[in-house]
Amino acid sequence: MNNVIAVAGVVIKELYRRKDFYVLFVMTALITLVLGSINFFNDDHIVRYLKDACLLLIWISSLIIGITTAARQIPAERESRTIFPLLAKPIGRAQLISGKFFGCWMASGLALIVFYFFFAIISASRDHSLPFLAYAQAMWLHWICLGIVIALSLLGSVVFTAPSSNSTISFIVVAGIMFCGRHLNGVAVNIGGVRGDIVYVIYYSIPHLEWYDIRNFVVHDWGTVPWTACLGATIYGAMYAGLLLGAAWLIFRKRSLTT
Amino acid sequence: MNRLILTVVFACCFTLATELAPMFESIEARSGTAGDPLLVLVGDSRRAFANQFFSMADRYFHSGYYPTIFDARKKGAANHLDVAVHEEPGAKPEADDDDNFMGKPRDKIEEFGRNFIPTVHTHLTGQSAEEILPWLKLSAEMDPKRIDTYVTASFWLRTQLNQPKEAERFLREGLRANPDSYEILLELGRVDFYSRSAPEVARNIWNEALEKWQAQEKAGLKPDPAGRDEILGEFVREDEKVGNLQQLLADLEELKKDSIGTGSLEKYIEDVKERIAHPQ
Repeated sequence: MNNVIAVAGVVIKELYRRKDFYVLFVMTALITLVLGSINFFNDDHIVRYLKDACLLLIWISSLIIGITTAARQIPAERESRTIFPLLAKPIGRAQLISGKFFGCWMASGLALIVFYFFFAIISASRDHSLPFLAYAQAMWLHWICLGIVIALSLLGSVVFTAPSSNSTISFIVVAGIMFCGRHLNGVAVNIGGVRGDIVYVIYYSIPHLEWYDIRNFVVHDWGTVPWTACLGATIYGAMYAGLLLGAAWLIFRKRSLTT
Repeated sequence: MNRLILTVVFACCFTLATELAPMFESIEARSGTAGDPLLVLVGDSRRAFANQFFSMADRYFHSGYYPTIFDARKKGAANHLDVAVHEEPGAKPEADDDDNFMGKPRDKIEEFGRNFIPTVHTHLTGQSAEEILPWLKLSAEMDPKRIDTYVTASFWLRTQLNQPKEAERFLREGLRANPDSYEILLELGRVDFYSRSAPEVARNIWNEALEKWQAQEKAGLKPDPAGRDEILGEFVREDEKVGNLQQLLADLEELKKDSIGTGSLEKYIEDVKERIAHPQ
């Protein structure tokens, strides 16, 4: 466990040493503040559009941080050949994968705390209310979603040769699932036949990342998602992340490090 | 030699720029995008953006309960923001239960997934209706020729948010972009009639609206007949308010000319005739 924590610690340090997070946070803050300064019909109580835009930017930024951080971990270690001394120590490949995952996940969590704190301040300044539970739940589900995405990206990093191709494919897959994952069953019914069955299999197989996006609940003040559903989504997310990490380990343990 | 070539190229560029700059300016002026880099950037796709922003306003009106491109929507289903504008004055939009685009969940995953999205059909009312305004403003910015945007925004500003001044300002902005619009004039008159209790001013504006409608009809543009009925309907309400029974009778007769359901109108006309014959 200590080995996993040590590897994770290095990844977290990498987050605050690199400029990615700062740039994305400053851009999110800047765009949100500019949007907030726009006057619509002399009404300064309008807040939902601002919450919507801010949350969208937070989602985009967190996905960029999560995917790019996870995608470069193992290729960077291989490229700089630091993976040899790392694995020469009593660290197994499973521990390396786990450490990298927890590091990326914790780093994304830290970034999320900063982003959601900013979001809460902006929202409270306009809305004059702070639905803490709703925001905390949104952040929790967001973090679970990032866990699956990071695991997916780590799997990609042992399958694809370059981090750039892995990042691009991960972005496309994640965006595709979030945009149309919920509707694939309807598409399958409309198509029908064998092709419909194939789409249905895909529908059941993909991780349903769209569940974790509860922006509509937060923006339109619907309160919290039922806690049992939140728990169910957390267990589902943990299982999926575990599955993806297991697959990454299975591929990585047989992979030659020199090629 | 190189310097000479560079000088010649620079001179060519300079000359070309003096020729092309006025040409581009005239193109920008014709397309109505002059001075707005955003409009220049999005080009003709701004109409699509305007429609999208109008849909966003409707999505906000339903607090996020809104069909996506994957959800089956009833054929000819109207935008609820539009429907509310053309309802009778005082009528409040209500949630219609048969407009449940989601239907029953097809499987367990869909059933579970519905925990994370709004599944209740509601409409914003009162002060919270202000949340739709940014999208309507953006829609108008993208396509100033989209008349519905101005009328809809004004309707919510005057009926729910009690901001007739802002409603009028926005309508006048729309009128500058669409000087022949009877719809905007009709709504402008409503601001004066319902929010400012200025029936005479409202009547003058509605007269102009009727003239615009008739001009469009003469020009063969086939304006919506319901628009004429709405204008004449407002005349009738104005006559009732100021107590001008003779004018009321004349307006009712005019309204009867092309109206489909004249049964209740006949009764109303008889009632007005009675009131003229036996003033209280």
